[in-house]
Amino acid sequence: MRDRPVLPRLRERSPVHGLRRRGLAPLEVFAQSVSGAAPSAAMAATPAIVAVSAGGGTVWSFAVATGLALLVASCIARFTRRMAATGGLYSLTAKGLNPGAAFASGAALLVGYGMLAAAALTGGATYLQALVARLGGSVSVLVPVGAVVVVGLGAGALALRGVRLSARVVLLVELVSITLMLAIFGLLLAAPPAGPELPQPDPGLGGVIAGVLPALAAFIGFEIATALGSEARRPFRTVPRAVTWTAAVSGLLCVFAAQTQVVGFASVPGGLAAQDAPVPTLAAAGGWPWLTPLLDLGLTMSFFACALATTNALARILFSLARDGVAPRAFGRTHPRFATPHVAIAVVVPVLVVGLATCMVAGVALGPLLVFLLTVATGGFLVAYLLVCLAAPVFLRRIGELTWPAVAATSIIVPILLAALVAYVVASGGTPVVAALAALAGAAVTWFVWARVRRPREVAAIGVYDETVAADVLGDPGRAA
Amino acid sequence: MTTPRDPLPLSGRQPRAVRSALAVLEEVVAAGPGVTAKEISAALKMPQATTYRLLNLLVGEEYLVRLPDLKGFALGRRAARLAVPVTTTPPTAARGVVDHLRGLVRWGVHLAAFGSGQVTLVDPDPDHPPSDAALLARYPQVSALGRLLLADQPEWRALVRELRVFTEHTVSSTSELAVRIDEVAHDGIARQCGELRADRGCLAVPVRAPGDGRLVAGLALSGPASRVADPNTELVALLREHADRLGPLLA
Repeated sequence: MRDRPVLPRLRERSPVHGLRRRGLAPLEVFAQSVSGAAPSAAMAATPAIVAVSAGGGTVWSFAVATGLALLVASCIARFTRRMAATGGLYSLTAKGLNPGAAFASGAALLVGYGMLAAAALTGGATYLQALVARLGGSVSVLVPVGAVVVVGLGAGALALRGVRLSARVVLLVELVSITLMLAIFGLLLAAPPAGPELPQPDPGLGGVIAGVLPALAAFIGFEIATALGSEARRPFRTVPRAVTWTAAVSGLLCVFAAQTQVVGFASVPGGLAAQDAPVPTLAAAGGWPWLTPLLDLGLTMSFFACALATTNALARILFSLARDGVAPRAFGRTHPRFATPHVAIAVVVPVLVVGLATCMVAGVALGPLLVFLLTVATGGFLVAYLLVCLAAPVFLRRIGELTWPAVAATSIIVPILLAALVAYVVASGGTPVVAALAALAGAAVTWFVWARVRRPREVAAIGVYDETVAADVLGDPGRAA
Repeated sequence: MTTPRDPLPLSGRQPRAVRSALAVLEEVVAAGPGVTAKEISAALKMPQATTYRLLNLLVGEEYLVRLPDLKGFALGRRAARLAVPVTTTPPTAARGVVDHLRGLVRWGVHLAAFGSGQVTLVDPDPDHPPSDAALLARYPQVSALGRLLLADQPEWRALVRELRVFTEHTVSSTSELAVRIDEVAHDGIARQCGELRADRGCLAVPVRAPGDGRLVAGLALSGPASRVADPNTELVALLREHADRLGPLLA
């Protein structure tokens, strides 16, 4: 006779109760992740940035970055196939590494999603302003400020009203935006070359590698589905698939967009790297100037969908930190009817909107503001990805399910992410980004020290997730079948 | 938007994978809740990577659940659907309440249990024979009792196997069904008028446990389809009153 294991006492309700459990369809979860990565915006903007280092090898940089994103997705899937979290990578990291590392991941994600949401609002406002100007409207600062206020508060209201509704809006907007992008790029790719192809300087392997970091930045936000673990139907299947497929789809779209632009500028001295606004230039050269307003429209929509998706994720990270007892408990409250973390949303959204509107009214130029916000966000995500990839094999070892592919994936991706992080810090040297990151890191450390001193028990037990409750188990002694 | 069934056609050419998955399920039952992946792999002499993959698959499909330590496994609620529901006779006191209602109304009064995720009639009205038990169990979406069960489950789509049309009134689209299910969840009463048999209809209310409010049974009135569509305010009040009395007796 073998010993029968003892069934541990199960909770009557999940520690993350209050959110609508198991309600989101797979497509809705997938749409959130895709919107977080905002491939439309990445298709239009990133190839030119990558081309500065990678030149004719731009497509290769994107291919490598896609491979890396898929590796990160595989590390994330080690967790999401086994647990349903609401705190995204933060809750996952907590199951592998110590509370300090988990806390660092939480802080990095707050910075990442906060800055990404702000960047998405700014980006949307930028392209909306461009669209209004192109259609002969006013160029006053009131357009972007108004857009940020209206869309920001609108995103907040949708996020508050219910994750299902906001997921559906995001799905629709993103679908239109990507279709628009595919049509535009398909048309441009089909256009005859403007002249004989000029010899491009060979970027070499170094150039391609240097291009990987900006290419990787095109993927940030692709892991947003991890924050919807408890709200997704069949989460152990849906969430890992959503993250992996988002990495694959975004990668494909970016490779396609990069190829279109590299080919389009092959006959121009300096190539793609010398372009400020590559897609409108290509459209004008092809004799389709009317494509540009369509492009602006697509980008505006994509950015605003991204703002909505990141608001949902940001609120859920705060919610989870509060349920863990390290953030103000009010953030852990949920709306009785809408089943959303309404307090967290109601605090986060006005802060973002007021902050951005103030910057714009004060005369900060939109372009540099967008770049600044995106760069800071990238820093946060690089830290969070690094920690979750490091945590994956440790977690598997802890539950006794370690396999060699998990170790292999981590030992490949972790040194690369570390190198990317170093390259990132070096590249931002001397810019306000470093100061901002230092200030944010300082704030996070202060917060952690405060939590360790005031709430040591909570910090030690950090990492709530939507665990199995009595009602999920068949034949639990406390319950009739 | 999505169907409950996997769109990929199963070739049926992976008999070993299917056999191994069933062996894993059996081992979890035999070893009892809390058994770990390593223990299952050792007991079945199955490669570890294969065991982990099958376990993750079965957890993904919710036949198994991971316990809060994330190491141990137990049977999930969905596994109940693999077993034939056992019809248990309700306690005498509960039957008394049902009989009392039968004495007050001229309609058929049926009591159903929802164990194993199926409608099982545990006290059908002897004077007004209900529809075939197999039909009720198989097509929960066409009966009022079945709709109570569906409205209680966030994943009700998984329980609806086939939208079979019985009469011209049968709900035949998932979106329309979703509206009906939402209504049931909102109003706390389910009805169907001539959807299973053109001349019959049914009203059903949930019987809930007094403490946590979980669904333990359903109490239904069946009668002429034309009468079911009426508001029947007094009848519904009577039905609810008896359902409330049944709660503590069946929980």
